[in-house]
Amino acid sequence: MKEFQHGEKIKTASGNTVEIIEKLGEGGQGIVYKVKYGEEEFALKWYFGKKLHDIESFYSNIENNIKQGSLSEIFLWPLELTEKRDGSFGYLMKLRPKNYKDFSQFLLAKVHFEDISALINAAVSIIKGFRALHNRGYSYQDLNDGNFFADPKTGDVLICDNDNVSPYGENLGIIGKCRYMAPEVVTGSKAPDCHTDRFSLAVILYMLLFLNHPLEGKRTMCPCLTEELERKYYGTEPVFVWDPYDDSNRPVRGVHVNEIRLWKLYPDFVRKAFEKAFSAELLTGADTEHRIIEKEWLEIFTALRDITVKHSCGSDTFYNADSENCVCINCGQEIAKPMILNVPKHKVVLAKGTKLYTCHTDGNSENDEITAEVVASINDSAVLGLKNCGENEWTAQLPNGVTRTFTKGQTVKLGKGIKIDFGKVKAEIE
Amino acid sequence: MGIYDDVVEVTRRTMVLFFVVDTSGSMNGAKIGTVNSAIEEIVPELKEISEENADAQIKIASLSFSTGAKWINEPISAENFRWNYLSANGVTDLGKAFAELNDKLSRNAYMGDIAGSFAPVIFLMSDGEPTDNYMDNLEELRKNNWFKKAIKVAVAIGKDANKRVLAEFTGCDEAVISVHTPDALRKWIQFVSVTASQIGSRSANAGTINTKGGTSLTGGKINLTKQDEFIREIKAQEAADAAEWDSFDDDGIEW
Ligand SMILES: Nc1ncnc2c1ncn2[C@@H]1O[C@H](COP(=O)(O)OP(=O)(O)OP(=O)(O)O)[C@@H](O)[C@H]1O
Ligand SMILES: [Zn+2]
Repeated sequence: MKEFQHGEKIKTASGNTVEIIEKLGEGGQGIVYKVKYGEEEFALKWYFGKKLHDIESFYSNIENNIKQGSLSEIFLWPLELTEKRDGSFGYLMKLRPKNYKDFSQFLLAKVHFEDISALINAAVSIIKGFRALHNRGYSYQDLNDGNFFADPKTGDVLICDNDNVSPYGENLGIIGKCRYMAPEVVTGSKAPDCHTDRFSLAVILYMLLFLNHPLEGKRTMCPCLTEELERKYYGTEPVFVWDPYDDSNRPVRGVHVNEIRLWKLYPDFVRKAFEKAFSAELLTGADTEHRIIEKEWLEIFTALRDITVKHSCGSDTFYNADSENCVCINCGQEIAKPMILNVPKHKVVLAKGTKLYTCHTDGNSENDEITAEVVASINDSAVLGLKNCGENEWTAQLPNGVTRTFTKGQTVKLGKGIKIDFGKVKAEIE
Repeated sequence: MGIYDDVVEVTRRTMVLFFVVDTSGSMNGAKIGTVNSAIEEIVPELKEISEENADAQIKIASLSFSTGAKWINEPISAENFRWNYLSANGVTDLGKAFAELNDKLSRNAYMGDIAGSFAPVIFLMSDGEPTDNYMDNLEELRKNNWFKKAIKVAVAIGKDANKRVLAEFTGCDEAVISVHTPDALRKWIQFVSVTASQIGSRSANAGTINTKGGTSLTGGKINLTKQDEFIREIKAQEAADAAEWDSFDDDGIEW
């Protein structure tokens, strides 16, 4: 197939015209161009027609997805189809801004998240995107390191390749990569669906945090990884590198360097979650349809976010409220006990910049808008206050027994023993 | 700043692309010249594929054969690889090349990367007829496990190339591509290098594709191996070429 040239015009399905500006890149399925549509610029993905096994069902799936509309900001969702032409077609989506980098660039250590908060934000965004998809009865089917992009500064994420997304029970004949596909897909016993998405999600989350693959260790260190062996290691006999009951596939010193160093720096509840996600039971056992769901991951990463603070050495660290003395994961120095906000189900470490969300102040995790932020006094940066950023009026009981109300924009000076009633939820500072 | 400052790249496997080039006398002139410049040109693209790939890095090794066979370079990462121009003279000792391959396709030789390797891609280019008794060496090579699992492909240059021998090497006719013009030679060298490297350096295909559309899991499903996938790519490219053939202006270049 000939590539489109600058200035070439293509008709959309609705009869409008887009004009090719330049080629942005090429993948296994097609070429992505930057195009002009009206006064705006978009990305046009144009398929290699010959590679689509069934062009009609592919076209109509995207058509349906467009009708459905984007399920979350995070997806570079198809916006409009083009006309069919020369045995192929394309669709328009938003352009990915330049500050978003390929996930593979993070894995190859060419790009780093600015801090752990950005990394956690990336994890939370991905989880939320998948939750939105699954809640609407869709599955993604082919999540791998090539489908998403993150801003290293903020951890904001965009997911592309939404053309395979389809409703539960439907399947376009997707081929993924063994490394990211659920064992039952690798063995060919099942087609991708939301349950297999959850396996891929766990792999992506693990790799995001630990920069190695969760199923690659001592056992998989063979000289030649043939396709048969891949099917074995990722399909019939996968073993998690940190499986508490099976140490046959532990990471190898000098080879799986990152996870050996990083695994132990994360709090126990995070490690437990991955141990569960990659347990024999959830990998290949009877329970592959009850893998960790997005809501559960969200709780885990929210809890992780709640205990992440910037240490005086300049690095983010985790504060474990339950341990006697807690040291910084970066410099090893002991961390002075910070103030902690206690609400039902959450313990949030309070430091300058800490944000509270609706899950903390309204007891509701459905939408997590920011409802409060810890700010420092202009006069004395050691004096912290909690600023009301939400719509609810708070009632705070101060240590001197006085009770006062705080509305949006007002700040409660923080101190041990203060009780704040957020309206639906009562909190105490410890 | 923090605990991610000194992360290293994710553990990647290695995938070696072997260029095996006929440098016998008959290749002298435009043929070897085209081979040289085609490979030289495609190296940056291979480098890019390797740099963006979190599954595996690509290394390139090259072997030439004429009177005897000679390694031009052992596997070098695509990032650092540079093609050295080959010149052509001598006979066509293909069997010697097979023996060299067999020797080096071993964990103790070229395939010893600590994190392991994917099966290699072996890309043979020749325009003639073996002058040595290649058969015994090919028999030996075929027993080599690395060779068995490799993606094997050959380009037959011009009308004197022995396509049967090349097919014995690749294991099937479809993986032997015939070219008759310098343009086609350049295009196919580049197409094969890129496509085979992409497929070879990626984690294996998971899942099955429905050969006849539909949404059911049953019926018409196939499990696509890397060699199958590569052959599909060759066929698709050949079909696309054939479509352009009608408008082809043949100005009489014939080999
Ligand atoms: N919305 C976009 N804005 C800017 N660039 C994009 C956009 N979508 C894709 N690209 C770029 O275009 C190239 C190919 O895109 P894409 O990954 O979608 O192709 P593909 O055929 O699905 O590839 P594969 O399935 O092999 O990963 C990539 O380099 C990607 O970074
Ligand atoms: Zn520190």
